[in-house]
Amino acid sequence: MQKTDEPATGMEAAGAAAPVPQAAAPLTARLRPVIFVLNCAVVLLNLVLLVVHGWLDDPVVQAWRTVCLAVTVQALPFLLLGTALSGAINAFVPARVFSSVLPKRPALAVPVAGLAGVVLPGCECASVPVANSLIGRGVTPAAAFAFLLSAPAVNPVVLTATAIAFPGNPAMVLARLLASFATAAVMGWLWLWLGREEWLRPAARHTGHQPGHSRWREFRRGFQHDFLHAGGFLVLGAMAAATFNVAVPRSVLDAFTGSPWLSVVFLAGLAILLAVCSEADAFVAASLTGFSPVARLTFMVVGPMVDLKLIALQAGTFGRAFAARFSTATTVVAVLCSVLVGGVLL
Amino acid sequence: MKRPFQIVVLVLGGVGLLHASLFTDLYLNYVKAGMRPLLIASGALLLLLGVAEAWSHRKPDEGSAHAEQHGHEPAGETGHGHSHASVPRVAWLLFLPVLSLLFYAPPALGAYTASRETPQEVTQQEHFDALPPTSPVPITLTDFTRRVQQDRKRAIKGRTVEMTGFVTPDKEGSGWYLTRIIISCCAADAQSVKVRMYGAVALPANTWVSVLGTWHPAGVLGTSTASAALDVGSVRKVARPVNGYTDALPLPTTR
Repeated sequence: MQKTDEPATGMEAAGAAAPVPQAAAPLTARLRPVIFVLNCAVVLLNLVLLVVHGWLDDPVVQAWRTVCLAVTVQALPFLLLGTALSGAINAFVPARVFSSVLPKRPALAVPVAGLAGVVLPGCECASVPVANSLIGRGVTPAAAFAFLLSAPAVNPVVLTATAIAFPGNPAMVLARLLASFATAAVMGWLWLWLGREEWLRPAARHTGHQPGHSRWREFRRGFQHDFLHAGGFLVLGAMAAATFNVAVPRSVLDAFTGSPWLSVVFLAGLAILLAVCSEADAFVAASLTGFSPVARLTFMVVGPMVDLKLIALQAGTFGRAFAARFSTATTVVAVLCSVLVGGVLL
Repeated sequence: MKRPFQIVVLVLGGVGLLHASLFTDLYLNYVKAGMRPLLIASGALLLLLGVAEAWSHRKPDEGSAHAEQHGHEPAGETGHGHSHASVPRVAWLLFLPVLSLLFYAPPALGAYTASRETPQEVTQQEHFDALPPTSPVPITLTDFTRRVQQDRKRAIKGRTVEMTGFVTPDKEGSGWYLTRIIISCCAADAQSVKVRMYGAVALPANTWVSVLGTWHPAGVLGTSTASAALDVGSVRKVARPVNGYTDALPLPTTR
């Protein structure tokens, strides 16, 4: 209740603050603070009622709030890192740097950008704003998407965590590296082949450094804007993930361990719904002992590339039309790559 | 989202993170202890952003000139009218975790989560050192389970052990489990480890207790048929450890 009341009121308040036709302006301007205060009062009243009734302290709601807050708190530092990096790329790095580093032919730029994902250690939330600013700086979208997908999956931190979670099983680490990299590259090429610019929301904000303006101020404003924007979507994704996390008990999983094909599809779906961060998903995968190694590999390949909080972040950054197509295609490609690589190596 | 609200959410977010990580141990309810430096840095950074924004907002001519310049910024590129001065409404959602962290923080996961999850499989261990000669033997729930199910020398047999965890009542029936919740990154990946308790009345769920007892004979000791269970000798309430999401030994000071 608290969670649905407050954003709605927030939107109303923002709506009330939106520009209005000139004629109505004086009256609305006078009413605006009144409306806002009224909204706040209603929300506060609801909150007080909820607290008094103890609804917020129900074990289910408490677990939901804890998981929701945990996902947000865990991802915030990485989101800050990503948006800071994106702001810095926008304000300080000239566009020609990227054109000179990346190969001229987009088909070659895709795997190179995928390999560059190694330099961004951390959770997947950081890579979305960075990919967006790369596109804004003239990098071909295909290469930026390869980077977006590979950065959270093939970096040293995640691979180390995988090695710790699967002791004495280096094939799993290798399989994860190869399958993730293959998915990133295939998705980049797929975008070159089938992708259309109009699916992407125009990257309006990333205009780069303007002559005569302070670079530091551009950096700070861009950073702040991107963080607040992506942060809102992060909270949305965390709420969705917490809902599934609390609603689906792990014991349900046992029903799907029997069939090898069903279990692969099921764990791919679970990775999307649970939205565990990429540094931790290896430990979760290791705990899913009833499942085949290929199914567990699929869990680790899909997880960092598609999950509820990432879909929310991508929808916010690139637009809904893009997020829907891109997430679906990535899931299919990731499952296929995992099955192929896992079938050979595991 | 208007600029004053941006300032408020940034400052409150910074204060909230610093409150949870620097001044209290609240963050341990949600993430690993290793996240602390990152959280402190993030809190400081958010605070700094908010203060910087407020500072530039305070100087009216600069601020308005700035808003102007940003309002016209994307004209050549898209005509979308999307500028840095206006942040989308979705940013309002950030107030939820920020206010929750500051004023109404949810507690650590407990019996509700543990009762819904199948217990974590213990890892395989080939070699077991001899148990220390002290009695009772302080042991973690994971170690106890491993000793009971994998130690072919059956060193645990007849020994009194001491374990600490919280109470999770059995959903069907009157029994209860001694439980710990373990996280590897954040509370979203919580897993539980449970030891069944026999011969003691269940305290209310989520009570932290220290129990003394011996293995409850069920199945063949040293094989996977042995159940992780304890015949309880005594139960004592203890304070919740600061970092509840680890399977730690009983604190020596509480003995």
